[in-house]
Amino acid sequence: MGNELYFEDVKIGDAVPELSKGPIMKLQHVLYAGASGDFNPLHTDDDFAKAVGMKDGVISHGMLIMGFVGQAITAWVPRKCLRKFGVRFAGMTKPGNTIMVSGTVTDKRQENGENLVFCEVVARDEGGDVKITGNFSAALPLKRG
Amino acid sequence: MADSTQVGKTFDPIVWEVERGKIREMAKAIGDPNPIYLDRDAAIRAGYRDTPVPPTFLTVPMMWSSSMPVLINDLKINFMMVLHGEEEYEYYRDIYPGDTITGVPKVASVEEKTSKAGKKMDMVTVEILYKNQNNEDVARARTLLVERK
Repeated sequence: MGNELYFEDVKIGDAVPELSKGPIMKLQHVLYAGASGDFNPLHTDDDFAKAVGMKDGVISHGMLIMGFVGQAITAWVPRKCLRKFGVRFAGMTKPGNTIMVSGTVTDKRQENGENLVFCEVVARDEGGDVKITGNFSAALPLKRG
Repeated sequence: MADSTQVGKTFDPIVWEVERGKIREMAKAIGDPNPIYLDRDAAIRAGYRDTPVPPTFLTVPMMWSSSMPVLINDLKINFMMVLHGEEEYEYYRDIYPGDTITGVPKVASVEEKTSKAGKKMDMVTVEILYKNQNNEDVARARTLLVERK
């Protein structure tokens, strides 16, 4: 692979490259239901969603939005370098929303023989409403001396 | 309603054979074009043994095994009042097509909290340590369920 990311190249305060996803279509909920096995009709059936209080109909799977964040992360750090990834679901996403994933490097240190970088991530919609806050750590290679 | 006597309770193991097609399906559903998830040759060129699983793939064995609805029912959590509050993964080893992963869901904690608006909620954390066919730890998943009361 070409542009390998090295521990030395990452600085605290650096931005995680942004990723824009969407606008989300209802069809994507159907795809995600089938892929993930989460068939809660809250995500695919407008009548059901309205009956349980969602006035605009279906809402996105939270895990789909976490998947967008995972896409943003592993577009930047190689998948095999990812050590930990956690999120808090802060708000509901609806079809039509466009999700912007961004993040910041908050710490880097060597631990148990690994060169770890720690980052915060956030997913917001086009109006700036926060859908997910989270963090991840990744073990990066050192440049060969 | 969940309660603290349920801490430590375990459920039937989730046993899941990881398939290349399911990995591709997950990447496509997310809309992730990263070739390592879609194409074995591209994955090998990038230093993997085969197509690795995307970071949130462990939701697949959890949901397809119907473990979550069983667990929610068994813990007497009101399905209509439950929210997915948090999800966290720790990754120990790569997971590839052909691997069989096994995990036993376990109730790690149950806490009652009061929101700023004064509403009471039960916070139930379910933890699953997945092992592969060689009995090696591959990943740990933590799910926080929030039951509004």
